[in-house]
Amino acid sequence: MRALAGAAAESDLLHVEQIAVHYGGIIALKATSFSVGRGSLMLVLGPNGAGKSTLLKALAGSVSLHSGRVLLGGRDISGVPAHQRVKYGVALVPEGRGRLPGLSVKENLDLGWHAAAPERRGDYTAGTEEVLALFPPLHERLHQDCSTLSGGEMQMLAIARALLTKPILLLLDEPSLGLAPKAIARVYEALAQLNSAGLAMVLVEQKAVPLPARREATIVLQSGSVVFQQDRRPSADELAALYLGGRAER
Amino acid sequence: MIGLSGRRVEVVAFVLVVIAVIGAPLSGSRLFVYYFTLTALYASVVIALNLLLGLAGQVSFAQTTFMAIGGYGSALMTVRLGWNPWLAMMLAMLLAALAALVIGRPLLRLRGHYLSMATFALALGTYSFVTAAMELTNGGIGISGIPPLEIGDISFAEPGMFYILAWILCGLTLAGYALLADSHIGRAWRALATGQDIAATLGIDVPGYKLLAFILAAVIASIVGSFYVEFTSFVGPDLYDINIILSLFFMLFVGGRGSTIGPVVGAGVVVIVPQLMSGLERYQNLIFFVILLLLLLIRPAGLFGRVRESVPLSAILPGWLRASRRAGAA
Repeated sequence: MRALAGAAAESDLLHVEQIAVHYGGIIALKATSFSVGRGSLMLVLGPNGAGKSTLLKALAGSVSLHSGRVLLGGRDISGVPAHQRVKYGVALVPEGRGRLPGLSVKENLDLGWHAAAPERRGDYTAGTEEVLALFPPLHERLHQDCSTLSGGEMQMLAIARALLTKPILLLLDEPSLGLAPKAIARVYEALAQLNSAGLAMVLVEQKAVPLPARREATIVLQSGSVVFQQDRRPSADELAALYLGGRAER
Repeated sequence: MIGLSGRRVEVVAFVLVVIAVIGAPLSGSRLFVYYFTLTALYASVVIALNLLLGLAGQVSFAQTTFMAIGGYGSALMTVRLGWNPWLAMMLAMLLAALAALVIGRPLLRLRGHYLSMATFALALGTYSFVTAAMELTNGGIGISGIPPLEIGDISFAEPGMFYILAWILCGLTLAGYALLADSHIGRAWRALATGQDIAATLGIDVPGYKLLAFILAAVIASIVGSFYVEFTSFVGPDLYDINIILSLFFMLFVGGRGSTIGPVVGAGVVVIVPQLMSGLERYQNLIFFVILLLLLLIRPAGLFGRVRESVPLSAILPGWLRASRRAGAA
């Protein structure tokens, strides 16, 4: 069984203890606990409205916690606002690809680089060249308004922008949503590369993802509650049963 | 469509504006100089509004409130307390900044239309207050006898001198805008304008940056408020009524939100063009507004806004006209 709250190893990068999020009187996420080790992948699956995005936003600091706490590298960051959390190494690739119309591709990258903590920021040219090497299509579009990008390119830009903040934990909200199969393959190829290079990720998706990982765990959410939490991925049958309201073993 | 956007066009427009500004006094027309002076003052407020709306995306109607703080602040400090007009201007400016800080903190938590409505209420409240607070402001009668700004022997009550002062202010405001727009601060404003939550996850202190834009806009509005009353020597509620607020927005939307030279050209169009049509007498305003309406229909982004947002003329013609045009072309 999974090691839950309390039994977390000191070496865990992210340790989430009994976090719950309420919107007004509505409970979006019931008490949830998990840990993410350095370099490992946490897959968060669930249908629409299950609380996946809420969970990510709680980790990024975009919504405030009703209860529980979030520890990053052993440090409690529950009270740290979103714009400072990025300095601790938490980067969010938001739902809907984080479009910022009116800003060029380069300006998006500049924003990311500026957001990194100064001591971890590194050289600007080296940093941008690194992310552009990961996503070559962005190179030709540097001076274009980002709203002219295709969905796949915008998703690449959102990831590149997040990478420039020099994260130790990357939060991804449905990066495959609305993308063509080819673009999905491309995005996931890059994510696999990043994960194998040691970047820890919390990845939200609705369905199974083509992302191999050495160390991984999966949480399935249903109406704000965890209905599956294991160190493996659910099979297609299990997932179908969970989405349809069934409760597999926890 | 007509290509009026892009840096090159803005540079050309900038040069033309500079030529016009130098040329206007040479025409020898006092009226022309007066309207160009008004243009410089309004343009400065609109540049500040552009910073708030065009860059940071915050629709605030509070500019006249801060103009009133500058105007009445200067009037009261010079006429009632006998202080130096420059000192009065600077203290009023500090007061406006402080007011913007206190008002902005809670108001800027509101998004979109809620912010607009709250600031609109503030602007209407300002007008009501300066009209009603007889003891302080003389109500509708206003305060006259405000001493002019002076440097040594130079008095800025002289129209030619004030013309120079007004355009220096406008030039500095424009330079400040251009520098900020190109900086990391400008980028942060533009990011939060379209995605507050995204901006926050990119390390941008959204409330802080919004407040900064609000305060800067207030400071410029206050300086203009002070300059204007120290030039005309009079302050009254009508300087801050609803027409003024709407004119400021008209100037910005005609010029083009988020462009650099747009607000100056927009202010010029709204102040000067109606004067050129004075031959139309009673129908002057009507015709002028029809022209503005057509302009905004064809170029919703304004003269110097992004071309992408242009609408072909045929799209705004009524259906029967479009059909006949097509038949004519065939």
